[in-house]
Amino acid sequence: MQIFRPGANAIATLVLASIGVIPVLAIGLAYQIVGSAYTTDQDVTRNQPVPFSHEHHVGGLGLDCRYCHASVETARFAGVPPTETCMTCHSQIWTNAEMLAPVRTSLADNKPIAWQRVNKLPSYVYFDHSIHVAKGVGCSTCHGPIHQMKLTRQAAPLTMHWCLDCHRDPAKSLRPREAVFDSEWKPPADAEKSASQLMATYHIRTDHLTDCSICHR
Amino acid sequence: MPPVNELPVKQSRISGRGTGALNRRQALGVLASGIASGLAACSKPDQQIIPYVKLPERVVPGEPLKFATTLPLSGIGRGVIVTSIDGRPIKVEGNPRHPASLGATDVFAEAAVLSLYDPDRSRTILNSGAIASREAFRQALQAHLQQVRQRGGEGFRLLTGRVTSPTLLRQIDDVLQLFPKAAWHAYEPVDEDSERDGAMLAYGRPLQIVPRLEKARVLVNLDADPLGPGPDQLRAARGFADRRTPQGEGFSRIYSIEAAPTLTGAKADHRIALHPRLISEAGIAIANSMGAEIRQAELPDHVLRVVKQAAADLSANRGGGLVLAGQALSPESHALVHWINQHLQAPVDLIDRADRTAAGREAATLAELTRDLASGAVDTLVLIGVNPAYDAPADLEFARHSAKASFRLHLGCYVDETAVLSTWHIPQTHILEAWSDLRSRDGTASLVQPLIRPLFQGWTDHEVLALLTRHADASPYDLVRETWRPKAQGGFEEWWRQALHDGVIAASAAPPITPGPPKLPNVSAVVTPSAAMTILLRPDPSLWDGSFANNAWLQECPKPLTKQVWGNSLALNPQEAKRFGLSSGDVVTLVADGRQIEAPIAVEPGVADGIASLTLGLGRRNAGAIGNGVGANAFAIRTATHSWTIPEVTITKTGRRDEILTTQNVVRTAADVRELYPLHDLSELGKLQTTSSADARPSLLPEQPPQTDDGHAWAMVIDASICIGCNACVVACQAENNVAVVGPEEVARGRDMHWLRVDVYDHGSAASPKLGFQPVPCMHCEHAPCEPVCPVAASVHDSEGLNVQVYNRCIGTRFCEANCPYKVRRFNFFGYADGEEYANLGLEPYRAQRNPEVTVRARGVMEKCTYCVQRISASRRAAERDERLIGVDEVKTACQSACPTSAITFGDLHQQDSAVNRQKADPRHYALLGHLGTRPRTTYLADVRNPAPGLDEEAT
Repeated sequence: MQIFRPGANAIATLVLASIGVIPVLAIGLAYQIVGSAYTTDQDVTRNQPVPFSHEHHVGGLGLDCRYCHASVETARFAGVPPTETCMTCHSQIWTNAEMLAPVRTSLADNKPIAWQRVNKLPSYVYFDHSIHVAKGVGCSTCHGPIHQMKLTRQAAPLTMHWCLDCHRDPAKSLRPREAVFDSEWKPPADAEKSASQLMATYHIRTDHLTDCSICHR
Repeated sequence: MPPVNELPVKQSRISGRGTGALNRRQALGVLASGIASGLAACSKPDQQIIPYVKLPERVVPGEPLKFATTLPLSGIGRGVIVTSIDGRPIKVEGNPRHPASLGATDVFAEAAVLSLYDPDRSRTILNSGAIASREAFRQALQAHLQQVRQRGGEGFRLLTGRVTSPTLLRQIDDVLQLFPKAAWHAYEPVDEDSERDGAMLAYGRPLQIVPRLEKARVLVNLDADPLGPGPDQLRAARGFADRRTPQGEGFSRIYSIEAAPTLTGAKADHRIALHPRLISEAGIAIANSMGAEIRQAELPDHVLRVVKQAAADLSANRGGGLVLAGQALSPESHALVHWINQHLQAPVDLIDRADRTAAGREAATLAELTRDLASGAVDTLVLIGVNPAYDAPADLEFARHSAKASFRLHLGCYVDETAVLSTWHIPQTHILEAWSDLRSRDGTASLVQPLIRPLFQGWTDHEVLALLTRHADASPYDLVRETWRPKAQGGFEEWWRQALHDGVIAASAAPPITPGPPKLPNVSAVVTPSAAMTILLRPDPSLWDGSFANNAWLQECPKPLTKQVWGNSLALNPQEAKRFGLSSGDVVTLVADGRQIEAPIAVEPGVADGIASLTLGLGRRNAGAIGNGVGANAFAIRTATHSWTIPEVTITKTGRRDEILTTQNVVRTAADVRELYPLHDLSELGKLQTTSSADARPSLLPEQPPQTDDGHAWAMVIDASICIGCNACVVACQAENNVAVVGPEEVARGRDMHWLRVDVYDHGSAASPKLGFQPVPCMHCEHAPCEPVCPVAASVHDSEGLNVQVYNRCIGTRFCEANCPYKVRRFNFFGYADGEEYANLGLEPYRAQRNPEVTVRARGVMEKCTYCVQRISASRRAAERDERLIGVDEVKTACQSACPTSAITFGDLHQQDSAVNRQKADPRHYALLGHLGTRPRTTYLADVRNPAPGLDEEAT
């Protein structure tokens, strides 16, 4: 006597196959989710109390990165400018602009502006801007085409995978020292040759760059 | 038993009326909202960046700034340099320019940053326990002072601790000038009365001694503990270390005759445990051998032999022999020691004491104050930063008598035992929030500058004294500058900036005095021994006089010789314990002159017969969440006449037990001690062979550490011969590396989190211990047993030889801990720093102390010493930014920079002239458990002692 209908064969095969396939797919899906912009916040633009435009200030006016991010060459933290820095210009120009009201209020009330953080790293990662800048990693290498951003977004995924890609082979991300703050910099035609030269100029040793203790402590 | 409705829960709306059932619609609604709120909680919270409005000068966000200041211990200053990040002081280090620090710190200085953020600190003005406003206080004070002024200050008394601050002394002069009939009293729980009285007897002046251990070739301690905790510990320890390197000139010989074990006794070449009554006799015997011709000393034969040898050594080292007397000895003994030192031309300076005002006023005693209080002669009592209700001698009955003064003003950091007795309590600033000045033991003055604005609206002592003298608006900054303005050489502003920068005022040390020959004291007849026990009191090595009781780092800092934490105990030697039928952990009642306390027993070899030793500073009632009710309060049986030894104490067993909490045991198994803590005689050092390699046996590992192109190979060498076991490194590591406190319950389960522990080894016998200290951080083995057993590769090596622990990989199997032969790994069984903190340690203010360069470890994660990888990294980044190599010995670990004797050296094996390479070439060099083939990077130099030839072992 048959207790199963003929269709049961197909179902059984499918179930057996899925026992093998589903875990693989699930792991694959998990990897995709972890690396996707949904988790990494890549290309997420955040609303800011003042709609500050890097496109206007950097691309248009040509301000140097270090005018506002003053500690980028000396400290771990690149520095977000104090209200005073904004007011060096905006006490003279656009003094009545509606858009800048929070800046004026901040100075008048001595209350800092609370900017939304765009590039987040986990608390167990110790990233240092100064050493990357000193070794010829350009701002736009990680922060993307900042001179074209109306509102700032996170250009890179900021995953450990992404960090390690560069720490394993830093040559491709290096620039001559004078080009570090140039957001429109393009690698020269003989990119590979100049990269190996830069590796030598900056005394970059790759043997320890993937040590856990370089970023975690 | 009927069920008890313990938690009466209000009927919620969704549970329906009466029936308690949900209908389908409600159930789905609840489900949906639950899922929605769950999803909302999953989204990453937005983070904000809050910049300054105006960036303060020199501040770089996230980068450390260092400022020199001074921290007091019993009113005596020790110069420090405090690291501040984003305006938060997070770490204290020594100030190399300051003579009382010489670049090192002690446990109390290291722990100061934790006390600063203590949320239990007093925050508001209290009027008889009720919160009051500043204005109400000012009005009440001025109205009261009006009356006092009309009486010319009659009935007005000021009580302070030891005052060395020139500004405070100047203000005290001002107060007493304004109130001519008022009086100033001062006391210190850790008093130096017998030393002071001894100088009076010898020279007719209360001179202060400043021993120079760096010049002492022979040091005889008569119950003195110069290497023990105290305001002069760092200077003494450096002096000791200078004389204890076998390569150096004139290796010293130290004799310690003491009633209970001390750090100095542990490091001594000959140590004898003796009743204080007999220690005075030893002083007489030494004086007699130099021709003092006092009466015959009555000493047992074996002691006399050692004392004679000590006296012979002293006499043979004229100019380099030094005798020091401890607080438990009588003033006569101190005077006798002055005579001996004078006779020997000992390296000891005599200076004027710093605790008197410019007008020559000296403080009256606490006993005089309580006498006047009892007679009703005092109606206004101003207490500045003292806590007599807890730490005054019990027979003075301060608490009872103080009620007779109608106006009692108390300035203190905590609402402590005295604050609750006062009519007005004013919150005091922490020393890291204040402007002031202090003098160190040798008289050197230095400024105290604030690292942060007062967190809890505190007042400095200068502000309160200014209020008394009608300078209500004077800021402490101006008051301190006013003191120094006349003394500045050249332009004042320039001088001031330099003094602040250096953390020491140049050429301010007190000049040594030559007071003429000291008088020989009348030494009283020998006291007949009594069968009753004598209690010997000592300041607590971790909590000092109890003022640090609410500091969790110090409560959990293992006491150097017993390793006890979270409490104190009455130490008896094994024979005495047997006589009383007691064992460790038995709670006993001590009755002394009608006063009694209870304390648990600790059996400790090395305590003299007839002596039970107990430390002060515990048993606080109003210390705060950390310190309340921990340990036994020895102040409750202390009296004004018997401040360090309490005779005729009866000890009775209560039958209860209270286990002594220790983090580990003293290693006494002879074979282990010989192997793990070798100890050489100085005379036999020449026979030792240099073994720079950790183990000579063949190994599959490369002979040299794996070489990277221009990489580093970090290593540490610890010199056991100069380690005095002071614990400064332990607390420094805790401050630097965010090491959590676990609390007494967890310690009782055998857990603690210190990355660096100090092991104690005993080379002696149960009757006479011969102790040595061995700090044990992670060994950073080149062939690390912890690494192959980790299933997730959380324990790995980096290219510079560090054995690193990757917290975000660790899944908490604890295999590494099990496989570590050195037992240096620590596991977060709970969120000790991350949500399950002990007592008040989870409160917000403490978070400000955390070092932002080091991860705060979560529950379920293994952790251990990292060789301060954050400091290595900071140096590496700085060097690479400047396009140079890391300098020789540029990186200093936290333990290394704290060490008062420089016993810890750290550096790069690849740099030929580094200090670690020099140390490794020493014949005393050995690796701990080297035969296991772990090839540790942390290695040791064996202890060296210099016993007198001919004195047999039994006698010592």
